[in-house]
Amino acid sequence: METRFKTLREFPLDEYLSPGATMCAGCGGMIVLRIFHKALGGNVVIVNAAGCLTLLQVYPYTPLKSSWMYTAFASAPAGAQGIRDALDILMEKGKLPQGEDLKVVVLTGDGAAYDIGLQSSSGAIERGLDFYYLVYDNEAYGNTGFQRSGATPFGSSTTTTPPTNLNPAGYSGMKKDLFEIWRSHNPPYLATIAPSHVVDMLRKIETASGFRGPKLFISLSPCPTGWGFDPSETIKLSRLAVECGVWPLKEAVYGKVRHTVVPKVLKPVEEYLRRQNRYAHLFTPTRQEEAINFIQEKVNEYWLKVSATEGHEVIKPINLAEKQTE
Amino acid sequence: MNLKSIYPPHGIRIYWGPMLRIRFHGRGGQGVKTSSRILGRAAFLAGFLAQDSPIYGAERRGAPVVAFTRISDSVILERGFIFNPHIVVVMDESLIGDWLARPLEGLLRGGVALINTAQAGAPLEVSDSHVVVRLNITDEALKIIGRPVISAPAAASAAKITGLIRKKQVLEATVEELTELGLAEETVEKNLRLVSEVYDMTPHHSIKINEEPSRSLEVVDLRSDRVVFSDILEVGNAYLRKTGNWRVFTPVVDYGRCTGCMVCYVYCPDSAVKLDPDKKPVIDYENCKGCLICVLECPMRAITFVREAKAYA
Repeated sequence: METRFKTLREFPLDEYLSPGATMCAGCGGMIVLRIFHKALGGNVVIVNAAGCLTLLQVYPYTPLKSSWMYTAFASAPAGAQGIRDALDILMEKGKLPQGEDLKVVVLTGDGAAYDIGLQSSSGAIERGLDFYYLVYDNEAYGNTGFQRSGATPFGSSTTTTPPTNLNPAGYSGMKKDLFEIWRSHNPPYLATIAPSHVVDMLRKIETASGFRGPKLFISLSPCPTGWGFDPSETIKLSRLAVECGVWPLKEAVYGKVRHTVVPKVLKPVEEYLRRQNRYAHLFTPTRQEEAINFIQEKVNEYWLKVSATEGHEVIKPINLAEKQTE
Repeated sequence: MNLKSIYPPHGIRIYWGPMLRIRFHGRGGQGVKTSSRILGRAAFLAGFLAQDSPIYGAERRGAPVVAFTRISDSVILERGFIFNPHIVVVMDESLIGDWLARPLEGLLRGGVALINTAQAGAPLEVSDSHVVVRLNITDEALKIIGRPVISAPAAASAAKITGLIRKKQVLEATVEELTELGLAEETVEKNLRLVSEVYDMTPHHSIKINEEPSRSLEVVDLRSDRVVFSDILEVGNAYLRKTGNWRVFTPVVDYGRCTGCMVCYVYCPDSAVKLDPDKKPVIDYENCKGCLICVLECPMRAITFVREAKAYA
């Protein structure tokens, strides 16, 4: 597809977020929101479910130069429906010029998207609501002190799933596959993005804007505070997540999936895990080989399936047996 | 006692009791809450009753955070914020200039302000009204732990100033609290070294507090002009917050090496990197939080960082 985003040279320079927001230094979600807003332009209204980013606006300050509405955890897509309908009706009646139409963007964390707001998102997608949905996924309830959410991956330690004698690996369940849950609704556009891969992100948003109906984005959002890494490494971790195959970058147009960034050779997941305190228990005091291998196996499995179905060049996964004999 | 005397209509009354009140001010991530806990536990180990609590709210890593510790030899019935502390521990000196944090507010006559500062100055300064203790805890922490986390040493320092708690008790409390947080043994070990160092560094001072009559705090009337901000009508006004004082390290651009590739501009989470007409970065130091993503991501290694040290009142 023709795109105006080929390199960082085409990065939009208009600024829609002022400095001075009260997010943590190095917040991955802020990077995504800023770039997302730049790609969409200024005519945007953000509907924000409870989460970290609701604290962008604390009276009397706001960093946003666009409109914003705050909803309860479960109801951001419902709020978006109301705003969309109101705009449509006002324009139909001629009370609002067509030029003042706004793009309705739902902004939620993984808690609202994966758990509490799942049913209202499902309803909005089913009704074919014309909106953007941006999830900043930091894989736990970061705002309240990093409790486990539906997005928490296997092996992560959170305040509600600490490593214990019974569960030495921390969280013993698996991360929900929200991409597939949403894809089963057959929306026009659905993609995963990561703050490190900016050109990929800009292209996807550009592609999405060509469709009418639900346009859904799930973004990895490295969280220095919750994941336990130095704030300067936010982008580095996001990049590692993609290169290790933990966070696949893909899009689905009317349900047809295509991977946009395919690592030729996967890096071992250990490189990604080691840098974060939430996985520290997998390495110290004793190395939990079984748990690390399990995470690696799941990643291998995923990418072998991708290369089989999409006909990419075979991605060389990490061979565990080979690694152990080294 | 009737209800009226507990809740006077025009203010909150502070009662004086045989109790030591300590207030901690710092930034999210420095260990403010943990510090108040360590002090509380150390006091408990020394045979006192203790209570500690942080303010829960919209605090973030880097944002101003407050925590409280009360120490007494009898049951502590008082709850809530401490408005008139005997000791304030200012874990980040830049807070002194922050009009929202106001760490020194309400310090009792004869009370101690313990300030973590990189500024040179007399370690102990006694005046008629207050005692100022200056310590450079952050540099010690960077030396021993390698990160500016100062929860345990700040507690140690405050413990010594109370005159009630011995080093042994602080060390014991540090081990218990930090182990509970799940820190590695090696990290706890380093913290103990730091605690020991800072406890010894802290000057001796026996705290003498002149009793003050209970006083009422001013209650801001919502109808008064004082709470009206004309700026709230402006969108994107958060730059007025000046989050620049969250920094521990300051990024500095070497324009000789910069090629104008915009990577720092793209990845700045806070729009604190602006571009000049040549697409070279200009860092907005009033708002840069010092996450240092730009330092790490710059492909030309044209951005370095220095330790933030600024003079405050």
